[in-house]
Amino acid sequence: MNDSTGEARSGPSRRGFLTGTGAAAAAAAGLRGELAPAAQPNPAAPAHGPGPVLVELTVNGNKLSTTVEPRVTLLDALRNHLDVTGCKRVCDRGTCGACTVIVDGRTVYSCTMLAVEARGADVKTAEALGGDRLDPVPAAFADCDAQQCGFCTPGFVVSIRAALDKNPKATPEQVEAALTGNICRCGTYEQMRHAIVQLCRKGG
Amino acid sequence: MAEGWPKKRRLLGTKVKRLDGPDKATGRAKYSYDVNRPGMLHGVMLRCPHAHAKIKSIDTAAARKTPGFKALVLVLPAKDWIVVKAGGDALELRSVPNKKKKEKEEQRTVKVTPGVTILRKNKVVAVADLKPDDVVQVEVPDDAVGRELFFAGDEVAAVAADTEEHAEDALRAIKVEYEVLDHLVVEEEVIKNPKKKTTPGALEGNYDTTIKDATKGDVEAGFKEAEATVEGTYGVPVISHQCLETHGLVAEWDADGGLTVWASTQATVATAAALAGRFGLPPAKVKCVTHYMGGGFGSKFGPDVQGFAAADLARRAGAPVKIMLDREEEIIAAGNRPSATGTVKIGGKKDGTITAFAVDCYGSPGYTGGATINLNLMPYVYGDAVANMARSHKVVYTNAGVARAMRAPGHPQNCVLTEFAVDDLAAKLGIDPLVIRRKNLPPNNPKADKVSWAGRRHDIYTEQLDLAVKLSGWNEKWHPPGKGKPGAVRHGIGMALHTWGGFASGSTTPNECSVFISKDGTPTAETSTQDLGTAQRTVTAIVVAEVLGLMPTDVLVKLGESVYGFSSGSGGSTTCPSQAPAALLAAQAARDDLFKKVAPKVGADPKDLAVEAGKVVDAKNKKEWGWKEFCGRLGMDEAKGRGEWSLAISNEPENANISSGQVGGVQTAEVLVDSETGVVRVTHMVAVQDCGLVVNKLACESQVAGGVIMGLNYALFEENIFDKHTGRQVNPDMEFYKLGGLRDMPKITVHMQDMPERGVIGIGEPPTISTAAAIGNAVFNALGVRVPFLPLSPRRVLDALAKGGK
Ligand code: FES
Ligand code: FES
Repeated sequence: MNDSTGEARSGPSRRGFLTGTGAAAAAAAGLRGELAPAAQPNPAAPAHGPGPVLVELTVNGNKLSTTVEPRVTLLDALRNHLDVTGCKRVCDRGTCGACTVIVDGRTVYSCTMLAVEARGADVKTAEALGGDRLDPVPAAFADCDAQQCGFCTPGFVVSIRAALDKNPKATPEQVEAALTGNICRCGTYEQMRHAIVQLCRKGG
Repeated sequence: MAEGWPKKRRLLGTKVKRLDGPDKATGRAKYSYDVNRPGMLHGVMLRCPHAHAKIKSIDTAAARKTPGFKALVLVLPAKDWIVVKAGGDALELRSVPNKKKKEKEEQRTVKVTPGVTILRKNKVVAVADLKPDDVVQVEVPDDAVGRELFFAGDEVAAVAADTEEHAEDALRAIKVEYEVLDHLVVEEEVIKNPKKKTTPGALEGNYDTTIKDATKGDVEAGFKEAEATVEGTYGVPVISHQCLETHGLVAEWDADGGLTVWASTQATVATAAALAGRFGLPPAKVKCVTHYMGGGFGSKFGPDVQGFAAADLARRAGAPVKIMLDREEEIIAAGNRPSATGTVKIGGKKDGTITAFAVDCYGSPGYTGGATINLNLMPYVYGDAVANMARSHKVVYTNAGVARAMRAPGHPQNCVLTEFAVDDLAAKLGIDPLVIRRKNLPPNNPKADKVSWAGRRHDIYTEQLDLAVKLSGWNEKWHPPGKGKPGAVRHGIGMALHTWGGFASGSTTPNECSVFISKDGTPTAETSTQDLGTAQRTVTAIVVAEVLGLMPTDVLVKLGESVYGFSSGSGGSTTCPSQAPAALLAAQAARDDLFKKVAPKVGADPKDLAVEAGKVVDAKNKKEWGWKEFCGRLGMDEAKGRGEWSLAISNEPENANISSGQVGGVQTAEVLVDSETGVVRVTHMVAVQDCGLVVNKLACESQVAGGVIMGLNYALFEENIFDKHTGRQVNPDMEFYKLGGLRDMPKITVHMQDMPERGVIGIGEPPTISTAAAIGNAVFNALGVRVPFLPLSPRRVLDALAKGGK
């Protein structure tokens, strides 16, 4: 991908495809190692790469920097390069929500955003909700046992936190609506509903 | 004589929050996928893109020159050779024949060209380093030529590079030429072409028709006796485990030739042992760590191809290597729940008696494997009450990934095939299906212990049915099929029963737990077992805290490392019933050791000492000490105890109420079906489940609700769909392979039928079994038309309505 203008947000953004432009997306799902069509450089777009690019960003209040190839997603930059692993890689193509982070106040699937797009951004992951004082959202999850394996949990927790930040008076139905992009395989939804009710009762 | 569970319980059976809840919810918990070791490389697997092919040639030269490339392995059987002669570019070798297997010694000469890799003591060496009698492993690329691959996703090679992106670049640079062979991925195509052979094994084709289970009674006479008979064909598809944390591990070799892996596994000990075997290491040299685990559901019991590959890449590169599968690989190559399609004929009388049951079914376990249902458990739950039956099963091999155990293997399939037929029979007889269920419950076994499942299963089911009827409002809500309130959106209610064998322990080798008490009063419990999300960490803490008069948060639990003694894999719902007793015995032994060591220092007799909440008391001499104060007297010493639990120990009569196996359960589903769009919405599920002695009520209820949700996904959404032309799965992802989200979920009422006298029983698998059958029956009740195949997608619902002639 030779641009960072946000094109990646519109198309399927699986890492393998990011090595090409939109044309690669037409190749349909392929196994690792199957050839993707060669990249068609877009002469109008500002060029980054193909070598590593410096990415500086703020993560959970800490200024961090790393150099990654332009094809690297924000998720992989966080996990593989910055050791911020609260965001999980599950589907890697914007369907499960396990990689949800807050970028400049907005929830995004970090697997569908390139790291170079997040340069200068303020990124918050589930880790921001821990520390000395446990945020009420993860606290409610722990109280109500709204987690089993817990692999989906940071994604849900971040989504709820963002929804309640936006509207501290959100009703349980409104919070549920904010979770349509998150999937849990262990089936913790019943307990999650208890947690959401507890949170809404306390006003976020 | 075992002391058993404390008579007065402060913690056991109460609702205790998981100890690791906040860490997991805030991303602090490090799963194997999250482990980043210094200097770690990233590995990826090359897989065959064809459903059936042979490798014609493989060229790795270009891959080895890509930026960041570090190591490459070919997926080939591992074999040790002894060096006979080494010199120049030639290597003469002889094999190490396995005498027990009556193997003959083989000779082999290898021309050491670039691309040939020689390993000695798990290090890459050159010919010049070798001397006669050295034991080596040799990778010759030509050995891969001619290898037959049986599904799109079959492993060919793996590479490691400094970044994941570079690893994928290297992978793309490997040139493989395939001879593409015929494939069969659709089961009906196999049946139509029974002689066509596209899978391994000695069979003439892909269709094995030999599996038949014994018949019982006289099935023809049974059907004659029946007042009504129905025949239907029902089926469930292949589905995927879809563990959110994919399979894989991080492998790191140390300077002494030892290997540590951080694996996403349900079996730390077995995984370490398998790696030790593969790399010729003494078991103590391999450590498997699984501190947190993102779901397994039966699919993660060993290193798998990619785990061996990661360790192999790491030994070649001299650096840690991580391989975690991506979502597509997870679905196509890391196990699945096999399908079952069956034609069922069932006959019965108006009083509900099933007079005869016949099932002829088939299913596909992938390209190899066996039967896909538990034929000897058919008709499911009611088998012991039905006098006449005939059963057969056929195996259909397809060019697809191989099935693995998935949460109650075989049972959900059994349940659907049986329970759909039961409700269809009830409809034909014009009776409430509840009548058939009550009439055909398995009888109590008069010879079995009255406390055990076998001794009282009829009574347990009867009580469960009563509870389910009450909690679901069955008597008010049930109507004859299709005879609910008219309108586009129809209401229905359905029911299904399940059973689960389970054991008190997963192995004959005893499961171990150790407890240490230090002078600051902190107990540490160590066990190699793993917490799959079942809250096992918290279970251990609760048990130790109960015995020592503390709170679960006071206990330090170290689990998920194979070096902490033996534990069996977490399968068959055996972890809690083997680990809770081991922790109980360990904590009791540690407490006794503490009394023995401290009593002389406080002028007491160990026999007079007992633990109460937060203190140690000597009731006889009316003395007491705070827990910390008492432990402080240990000085430089520590108190310790070890506990072991196995099936044999559990089966000793005196231990009957410490742990056991076998449960049943009843579930009801209430649905709304839109007869115009075909959309099914489940509005209420009731799950009644017997569960022995509950350790943690909160986590136990979570398990049951989670099982119900997994069953709901099975009923409505999940299916591995293959394209018969390309031989590839079209939905190896999470957008076209659907799993329900929060707003798809009904209200779930869980009722735990506590029976502490039966000891601890595992609960992971049973509650997922009957959900799909109950939902399917509810849809039948709503429409008056059977939707015979899962998932109950809008299209299937509309098709069934169209055929139903309404
Ligand atoms: S990993 Fe990003 S949405 Fe699934
Ligand atoms: S808790 Fe395991 S996937 Fe949600």
